[in-house]
Amino acid sequence: MIMKGQKRKLPPEDVEVSDRTSLAWESQRQFVFSVSLSKYQRGQELPEPSLRRSVLIANTLRQISLEPCRAPPVDMELSLQSLPCSSTSTVQAKEWDNTHGGTVTMQNNHLTLASPPLVSSCSSRRSHASVPLCSEDEDWESMSTDPDFSLSAAISSILSSLDSTIDGSSQTAARTPLRALENLSDGGVSALKQGLRWSGGNWEQPEECRARENISVEAMRSSYLGDLTVDDLFQDIDTSLLERDMGGMWRGSADGHSAGDDLLRYLPSFTSSQSFSLSLNQKCLPSFSSFSPSSSSLSLPLPTPSLFSNPSLMRDGLELDHLMEILVES
Amino acid sequence: VSAGVAGGNDFQWCFSQVKGAIDEDVAEADIISTVEFNYSGELLATGDKGGRVVIFQHEQESKNRPHLRGEYNVYSTFQSHEPEFDYLKSLEIEEKINKIRWLPQQNAAHFLLSTNDKTIKLWKISERDKRAEGYNLKDEDGRLRDPFRITSLRVPVLMPMDLMVEASPRRIFANAHTYHINSISVNSDHETYLSADDLRINLWHLEITDRSFNIVDIKPANMEELTEVITAAECHPHQCNVFVYSSSKGTIRLCDMRAAALCDRHSKFFEEPEDPSSRSFFSEIISSISDVKFSHSGRYMMTRDYLSVKVWDLNMENRPVETYQVHEYLRSKLCSLYENDCIFDKFECCWNGSDSAIMTGSYNNFFRMFDRNTRRDITLEASRESSKPRATLKPRKVSTGGKRKKDEISVDSLDFNKKILHTAWHPKDNVIAVAATNNLYIFQDKIN
Repeated sequence: MIMKGQKRKLPPEDVEVSDRTSLAWESQRQFVFSVSLSKYQRGQELPEPSLRRSVLIANTLRQISLEPCRAPPVDMELSLQSLPCSSTSTVQAKEWDNTHGGTVTMQNNHLTLASPPLVSSCSSRRSHASVPLCSEDEDWESMSTDPDFSLSAAISSILSSLDSTIDGSSQTAARTPLRALENLSDGGVSALKQGLRWSGGNWEQPEECRARENISVEAMRSSYLGDLTVDDLFQDIDTSLLERDMGGMWRGSADGHSAGDDLLRYLPSFTSSQSFSLSLNQKCLPSFSSFSPSSSSLSLPLPTPSLFSNPSLMRDGLELDHLMEILVES
Repeated sequence: VSAGVAGGNDFQWCFSQVKGAIDEDVAEADIISTVEFNYSGELLATGDKGGRVVIFQHEQESKNRPHLRGEYNVYSTFQSHEPEFDYLKSLEIEEKINKIRWLPQQNAAHFLLSTNDKTIKLWKISERDKRAEGYNLKDEDGRLRDPFRITSLRVPVLMPMDLMVEASPRRIFANAHTYHINSISVNSDHETYLSADDLRINLWHLEITDRSFNIVDIKPANMEELTEVITAAECHPHQCNVFVYSSSKGTIRLCDMRAAALCDRHSKFFEEPEDPSSRSFFSEIISSISDVKFSHSGRYMMTRDYLSVKVWDLNMENRPVETYQVHEYLRSKLCSLYENDCIFDKFECCWNGSDSAIMTGSYNNFFRMFDRNTRRDITLEASRESSKPRATLKPRKVSTGGKRKKDEISVDSLDFNKKILHTAWHPKDNVIAVAATNNLYIFQDKIN
C-alpha cells in the first residue's frame, strides 16, 4: 500500500525516544491515524468487511483521538511538567517506527513550528484547573462530558492529514501556529465517535446523532472571521483536488463558492458566541447523503505536521467536515 | 513423550515429509487454512482455501526400515465446501475451510466436522474393501431382467476389492451464524459441539441440524457501541459444561453452561493487567487473542496473541502462569506491520501430548517450540532447503542487535509473506505437522 505523495520506504526501526518529544510522537500518531483511517474506509468499501479487523481499527482510531488526554505514567509526570509541551500520552515512543524516513528533513523544518500549537494548548490546558488527569482506564465517556477537555492535538492531526490531502505536497512555508484550535474540548472526539459507525455487512446505520457537547475556543472569535471574505478563505485551495475528492459534497461551482456558503452555514455560532460546536448536527453540515461512495476512495497520504494560517483554518474546517462526512457516511 | 522437546541436549527434530506443490506460483485455493490430527494420531486432516479437505493416514512402519516412523500418505480427498452466494446480502460466502475438528472414533468409520464462514458439515469417512457380486437380476448388457424370467434365487457373495475411501456429508448445520465462524469445538460428551462467530456462540447437537442453542451473545443493542469481538472458543476436554472464549481485547471468559441458559455472564474472567510502560497505539491490536487451547489435562489453557503465547492456570484469573515471547523483535516494527496488515495475522498454537511443550508459528516460515519444564525454546524453519529425508533441523535465530552473527537472519530480512499460522502436534508421539502456505511439512523426532 503506497499512500499518495508518500515515498515508499519501510519505516526504519525507531531509536528509543526516551524524552518522548511531542514532535516524534505527534508525527507517529498522525501516521497511525491516517493509516487507520484509510484502512477503515477501505474496509468499509468491501462487500463484507472483517468484523474483527474493523473493530480493532476503529478502536485504534478512537484511542488515537483520545491520546492527548491520557495521563502519563507516574514516573513521567515530573518530566511532563518540565517539558514545554510533552505528550500526555503514555505511548512508549520507542515502539514507534520512524515514520518519516523519507521526510526527515521536513520534520526538522517543522520542529520549531510544530511545537507551538501544542505548547499553547498544553499551557492552556494546565491553566484549566478543572481538566482532570485521565487515568489510563478512565472511561472516555466521562471524559467526553468535560467541557474543558482539550483535543487540539487530535483535531490538528485530523486537519493536517486533510491538509496534506488537499495540498498534495509537504508545506515548507512558514505558517503561524494553530492557536485557533486551542482548548477544543471533546467535540472532535464525539464527532469521531459518532463518525465511527459500522456500516456494510451486518452493521446498522445510526438513526440519530448523539448528544453534543459544546466546546469553547478562545481564538475563534467573531471578529476573526469578519475580517475575511470567502475568496480569501479559498485562495489557497486547489479546488480541482477538492472536486475530485469530495464528490457530491461540493454542489457548487468549481471555485468553491457554494462550499463557502456551506462553510458559513457550518459555523453559525461564531457570530453569536465564542462557542464552537464541532458536532455532527445535520442542520449545520452539508448533506451527507450527497456524498458519493466512489469519492471515499481518497487515500490519505502521510501527513506532515504542517501548521495552519488563518485562511487555512477555514479550509480545515471544511476538511474536518469532509472527514466527518466520510466517517458518518460509512 | 520425552522431556526436552525444545532444544534439549538429546532431542532433535528432523524432516520427515512435505506435501504440496513445489513451484513458486502458489494458487490461492491451495493455501492450507487448517491442520488437525485425530484422537489417535493415525489420521491428519488439512483444509484449504479452495474448500477441500485432504486426509493423510499414517502407514505402519515398514519392516525394512524399522527405525523410521511410518509415513503419512493421502487417505482421502474431498470437496467439503463450495463457494456460495448469499442473495439477500449480495455477498459471496468463501469456501475456505476455517476449522476441522475430529470426533472421537466410535466405530470403523471416522467422523469430522469442517466449517467455512457460515456452514458446518459433519463428514463420515469410511472404507470400503468388499463388493457384493453375483446378482442374477440383470442381463449381460445391464438391463433389468423381467421378474418372471428369474427362476432361481442367487445370494450375492462379498468379494474383496481395492480399498476405497468414501467421504459423505452426514449432517449440514447451516443458517445459524450471521457473522463469520472462527471456531468449532467438540464437547467431551461426544454429543454436542459449539460453534463461535464474531459475536455469538451456538451449541449444537450432532444429530440435530435444524436448530441450535445460542449460549453467548455479545452483540450490543446499538452496533455503534461494539468494541470487542469473539476470536476463539473451545470446550473443556473433560467437563462438558465448561467452555472458554477469547476476545479481541485480550480477555478470556470461562463459562459454565449449568449456570444459565445464556452464558453472557462468565464464571471466570482471565485478563493480564497491561504493562503501562509498553503501552502503544497498537497495544489493543497485539493483545487480541488469535487462538485458545485447553491443555490435555484440562488444568491449563494457552492463548496466542500477536507477540506471545501465554499459559493460564484455570484457577488463577489475574495473570498467566507462563508467558513465552514468540517474536519480541517485532515489537519495534508494529507500525510497519500495521501498515501492511501483518499485525492482523491470526496465529494458532498447540500443546504436545503430555502438555510439556507448546508450539506456535511465526514469519519467514519459522515456528517456535517452548519446553515448559526446561524453559528452553527453539526456532525451526519449514523450508525445502532443509527437506532431505531424516535431515536434522537446524535451530534458527533472528538477530536483534546490531551485529549479525553467521547463520543468523536479521529482522529486516524476514519474509512476512511466509507465515506459519497453523500447526498441529500428534496426540501421543513427537510428530508435528506445520502448514507453510500451500505446503504441509511433517517433522518427527530423531529415533536413535
